[in-house]
Amino acid sequence: MVDLSFIIGGPQGGGVESAGQIALKAFVVKGYNVLGTREYHSNIMGAHSYYHVRVRDGPARALRTPVDLVVAIDAESVLTHINDVREGGYLVYDLDSVETDATKIASMEPSLRSRLRRFFESINMKPTVGSAVKVLEERGVRTVGLPLKDMLKKVSETLGAPIASIAKTVNVIGLTAGLYTLGVGLEYIVKAVEAQFGRRPKILAPNVTAARVAFEFMEWNFGSMKELPDGPHRGRVRMVASGNEVVAMAKIVGGLTFETFYPITPASDEAFYIEENKYVELGELSRRLGLDRLPIVVLQTEDEISAINMAIGAAVAGARAATSTSGPGFSLMNEAISMAVEMEAPVVVTLWMRAGPSTGIATRTGQQDLLHAIFSGHGDTPKIVVASGDHVEAFYDAIKAFNWAEMFQTPVIHLLDKYLASTITVLDEWDLDVSRISINRGLRVESPPEGYKRYEVTDNGISPFAPLGTTTMVASSLEHDEYGFASEDPVDREAMVEKRLRKFETMAKSIPEEEKLSVHGDPDARVTIVSFGSTKQPIISAMEELEREGVRVKFLQLRILSPFPSKTVSEILDNSDLIIGVEANSMGQLAFLVRAHTGIEVGHLIQKFNARPFYDVEIVYGVKRVLSEGARRVVVSGGA
Amino acid sequence: MVRRWADYKTEAWVQWCPGCGDFGILTAIHRALAELDIDPRRLVVVGGIGCSSRSVYYIRGSNMHVIHGRSIPVASGVKLANPELEVVVVGGDGDLLGIGGGHFVALGRRNIDITVLLFDNAVYGLTKGQAGPTLPAGVKTKALPYPNVQDRVNPLILAYASGYTFIARGYAYHVNQLKDLIKAAIEHRGSAFIDILQPCPTYNDMMTKEWYEERIYYLNEEDPLWDPRIRGPGDYAKIPRIIEKMLEFGDRIPLGVFYQDLTKTTLEDRFEQQMPGYRKAPPALRPISVDGRVPVHPFKVFKDKLVET
Repeated sequence: MVDLSFIIGGPQGGGVESAGQIALKAFVVKGYNVLGTREYHSNIMGAHSYYHVRVRDGPARALRTPVDLVVAIDAESVLTHINDVREGGYLVYDLDSVETDATKIASMEPSLRSRLRRFFESINMKPTVGSAVKVLEERGVRTVGLPLKDMLKKVSETLGAPIASIAKTVNVIGLTAGLYTLGVGLEYIVKAVEAQFGRRPKILAPNVTAARVAFEFMEWNFGSMKELPDGPHRGRVRMVASGNEVVAMAKIVGGLTFETFYPITPASDEAFYIEENKYVELGELSRRLGLDRLPIVVLQTEDEISAINMAIGAAVAGARAATSTSGPGFSLMNEAISMAVEMEAPVVVTLWMRAGPSTGIATRTGQQDLLHAIFSGHGDTPKIVVASGDHVEAFYDAIKAFNWAEMFQTPVIHLLDKYLASTITVLDEWDLDVSRISINRGLRVESPPEGYKRYEVTDNGISPFAPLGTTTMVASSLEHDEYGFASEDPVDREAMVEKRLRKFETMAKSIPEEEKLSVHGDPDARVTIVSFGSTKQPIISAMEELEREGVRVKFLQLRILSPFPSKTVSEILDNSDLIIGVEANSMGQLAFLVRAHTGIEVGHLIQKFNARPFYDVEIVYGVKRVLSEGARRVVVSGGA
Repeated sequence: MVRRWADYKTEAWVQWCPGCGDFGILTAIHRALAELDIDPRRLVVVGGIGCSSRSVYYIRGSNMHVIHGRSIPVASGVKLANPELEVVVVGGDGDLLGIGGGHFVALGRRNIDITVLLFDNAVYGLTKGQAGPTLPAGVKTKALPYPNVQDRVNPLILAYASGYTFIARGYAYHVNQLKDLIKAAIEHRGSAFIDILQPCPTYNDMMTKEWYEERIYYLNEEDPLWDPRIRGPGDYAKIPRIIEKMLEFGDRIPLGVFYQDLTKTTLEDRFEQQMPGYRKAPPALRPISVDGRVPVHPFKVFKDKLVET
């Protein structure tokens, strides 16, 4: 069984993300499954960032530390990740950085600097890279010092190009040396470089040369490489994409014609990818319409208020419309969400959660907006909130969100987070099986009859939807009569409130239970983990490990949080002896919801709110602490 | 079929106070629509919150009534989703220049083919007469306990700075002249703005019908050669005079078309240029599935994400 983890760290803006993706793609080319995420500061250049990857022959479900390899492009990375390499693992670092003192690294977080100073003081050492290397060697870590300056010189001489123009290839030198220690040969790295940069010779040549220089260095110093055997997934075409990109793809093939956004981390990359593909060839649809490429309106607005209101306007006019944002932007959208409920506008908001409150840590993850999403908007504002557990779910959910929005003429909040946004995974063609899902536009009438009532009172609460421009009407955000005319009449008011409530019941009834929740693992287990969103794969990975140790656990994954599947959740939890919540927030927001809807207490919580994603090993640890000591609350803290 | 202005009326009771300037504006809108013979089904009037925004219930159209200050973004969404529709925004100075000021600026930058009719009475009527963004500093209307401590924004200059390509000012009780301005604004390709001076007999006892009528005059009556149109760089020399007229607001208040730039493309034009077919298959109208099926597999579209193993 192959199960490798590694970290590539360096200064932001220096190409660390590309390096991480190249390393990850080298393993994909080699036939393995991968999972990789980027941890970065809210900074353009200079702060520490790192790429964290897991490689497996089986499913790569979660990240973990300690890792088998840390490639430290700069001094800060050695010191920052001093506790992240396992015994027997490798540290690849820059020989020229050994004298660098942590107290002199301006970009380092002051708190980390103090922690390092205290640590090295306690063992009577200076807080330098050299000391860190010594400490790691004592811990049984194998260290590889690279003369990066000389190696860059060699790349520059080989190409006949000035050093400044090829300085960024330092990342490829580092990753190549690192991958050598894991047994990944040069040919895979070259293919990965090509996959990353395309066949643009200007970028390709320096990076391929850098890889070659690094590989030769490693062979010269450590002998010929011990090749890792190829993985089981060779000989086919696979997709390597982030959560942001997968959702963008789903929206595009799922019928999106109108997307608005205001720049915000971690949502913007989704909009950028849609914009890159806004003039798109959509197979049979393009052929039928006689247009090679089909247009999607993508517009950057002046703020998130405009983004959601514009999307609502487009939706009421008949477009499949969405906007994407994160917590702060969603706060600004609240009033319009309420309008979309009153007006019955079919709009989708893709909400990528990040660490709050307020601006919090803009570039890091969290699950703190669950209640915000469900209770968004003033007044009684029932809506659909769907939370995806992983990339594949996110793909289908993004399309379903549109279907539900149009079927029920309601805002739908698609809840995701920064971890999924920037996590790259590898997908096979069958993972995105579009034949499994249809496009349903609901009760849409293109030629409404004379006397059309936009808000006709019906048994299931759903009125026929005629787009603007097909007949005279008013789509109104004031309380209204069936025609949409403003009305403060108490009878009209009650009728409309009841209609919207019935519509919400219709949503609850129409969406199959198996789409609202999933039960993973042994259904008869007496211990139940309850969670939602991106904790899914780390939990499943943890359960696989727990099972090997004889611990039987099942996992209730809530996928639709509104309307809440109270009855099924009650049944499952009533049949459990021990309920453990796993949430990346401090308040236990899902536990709150479960209690509110079922009266059942989630007695134990495993929480993480240091704004880094859950590792599978942390959930294993948490579950064991709950089982062994009955811990009510286990807070885990992995990640640099 | 030629439509009459009564065809654009609705059955809703018009809830404005007796003598309200809004009545004149509403009549001018009805008449402009009739003279342009616009199909009410293809007309989208979008209003926010305030007395004037209620016009969406009084004009036959395929209309939207939205939250406070957001009529411009909603209207922009409608127009960009279906550029064949005739989209008109109605709202007061509080709605469009106060809470919605950022959106007012953004529309100018985009030059979407939308007409914005500002019912400018300088007060918040529905909430009982607070100062609006066009009420001059020092003015104490009867609803204000102290004179206004914030100064007025100049809507015309703001519209010019934002990029509106048609800028005019009208007066609520001059229905005929206002009707002609509204027609010209609707016929203009691009973001068109009319600042309509509208006495509020209930709450603005300073800027009354009499106050306005002592001051207003028409640009083209005072200067028969007045030509606000910019057809090319040769007309840029007109701009200082246009700005000067926009700044005039005191003893004399000019009315008419101040500025019309015929050289700028609309956002819709730019979309069509980037994506030929946009107008033929706009977001609201183009089919999105093949008989309810997803039309294509992502592997066939997003090839930049594929890796051969």
